[in-house]
Amino acid sequence: MFVSQSMTRSVITVEKEAGIIEAQEKLIEHRIRHLPVVDTDNRVIGIVTDRDIRSALPFKLYKDSTGDKAKENLEDLTIGDIMTADPRTISPEDTIQDALLLLQELRVGALPVVDREHHIIGVISVRDLMRAFINVLGIGQPGALVGILVEEEIGQLKKIVDAVAEENVSIGSVLVARYWDENKRAVFLYLLTQNVAPIKQKLKKVGYTLLDPMDWHLDQYLTEE
Amino acid sequence: MNRTGFLFDERFLLHETGPYHPEIPERLLAIFKGIKEADLLPLLKPLKADRASRKWIETVHDKSYIDRLGDACISGKKMFEHPDNLMCSETYDTALLAVGGILKTIDLVMQGELDNAFCAVRPPGHHAEADSAMGFCYFNNVAIAARYLQVQWDVERVGIIDFDVHHGNGTQHIFENDASVFYYSIHQHPSFAYPGTGREFEYGSGDGHGFTRNSPVLPGQGDKEYKQLIEEHLVADFERFKPEVILVSAGFDGHVDDDMSDINLSSEWYTWMMEKIMDMAAQYTGGRLVSVLEGGYSIKRLPELAKGHVEILLNG
Repeated sequence: MFVSQSMTRSVITVEKEAGIIEAQEKLIEHRIRHLPVVDTDNRVIGIVTDRDIRSALPFKLYKDSTGDKAKENLEDLTIGDIMTADPRTISPEDTIQDALLLLQELRVGALPVVDREHHIIGVISVRDLMRAFINVLGIGQPGALVGILVEEEIGQLKKIVDAVAEENVSIGSVLVARYWDENKRAVFLYLLTQNVAPIKQKLKKVGYTLLDPMDWHLDQYLTEE
Repeated sequence: MNRTGFLFDERFLLHETGPYHPEIPERLLAIFKGIKEADLLPLLKPLKADRASRKWIETVHDKSYIDRLGDACISGKKMFEHPDNLMCSETYDTALLAVGGILKTIDLVMQGELDNAFCAVRPPGHHAEADSAMGFCYFNNVAIAARYLQVQWDVERVGIIDFDVHHGNGTQHIFENDASVFYYSIHQHPSFAYPGTGREFEYGSGDGHGFTRNSPVLPGQGDKEYKQLIEEHLVADFERFKPEVILVSAGFDGHVDDDMSDINLSSEWYTWMMEKIMDMAAQYTGGRLVSVLEGGYSIKRLPELAKGHVEILLNG
């Protein structure tokens, strides 16, 4: 669950003296949206995004590279002029949860990962976290989701897992989410089987309520805010 | 009235999955009963299965996978590589018979002896991948049938319609780079149902981009949404693709009384769907249409669903 395990290690960087067209070409070539700006020692001094670059490009020039006057002015413009200086960074020893919360708080799409001396060693982006989330959900494997409503008390999950184990089914992931009734929790089991009907029946028999699939909310808590 | 073949072989019952599995021989008996009690048997051309030659299985499946399955059967295993795939010593042979029966049926349709056919086979096929068994499926019957049509009968464009309530991941993956086979599937949305693939944005890739189409349907929905999606997606796509032969992956598990899904289709929808498919066959394939059983687990409903299915093949 550490940033070092999920970050992109082959970082594409740019220096602050670089022209913005050069930076844009790098973004396009590597299909990325963020370029950390580094000094000659590879220390992070800024970050520039595809949006920073697009905002700096006059529309005419952007569409038609033969624009003359505008192009001259543009040649004077460097990454140093348009970058966000001293951006927030994250350490490889920080966790994925740290990265998720920080990205959400800052409302940015990526963070440079730096060592203690501020040298760049990676980038962690929303895209990296999405990959981690897909892995956590288990949805890269064939399976089916079952939603169960349980009382908020100790030992509920054990009974559910026991019922699944009795049917000889593997669990791809378990999510527990808040429910609008605060004495209850919604438990989502991603089961690695096609044969979910017997498990549903068994859970009902031992007294659980199955959630109507159309009432599955993973982010009810956040959307209510 | 059409000359309709009905592939049904008692040996399809020999693939046994134990007492707690939904994919059981009784499914076929229910289908047979529905057709027999509606007095449709005398109107149908009965077909028995021959074992498929291994070379046809190899048009879709890896040799090593076929060997693994054969070895597992010989060694008496009760489960093949995943707890969903329960088996017995007859499973390999039954799977070969299912494929062989379908290929024989295709010969009769292509020779003009039959107009169309329903192949009531077990085990089902559409989840089976080139190198693995999945979701009760061992050999991908319909995928092998499509390859057979192309290799043996020089058919250039095969259209596959899969209305089983689960996405046919195997069939899609086998043909996703292939523009000569159009795979259409309508199924319960993959965020709510097995196997978790078949999202709307899966269109095929490479040369096959635009030759795969998925219509996911949300839980609780039924006839109305299915009809709308079929018109909007399938009918429009096939008008462009113009298949020369249509293969149907016929799964009856979207029925409201089938507890394998949360989709609420009525028996009437299945009739409507078959009529639509017959219309498309009349328009594009000269009526050539082979329907192959996939899922459908409601022993109570299978008789009437099979009866409706075959009636449309005969009269539609």
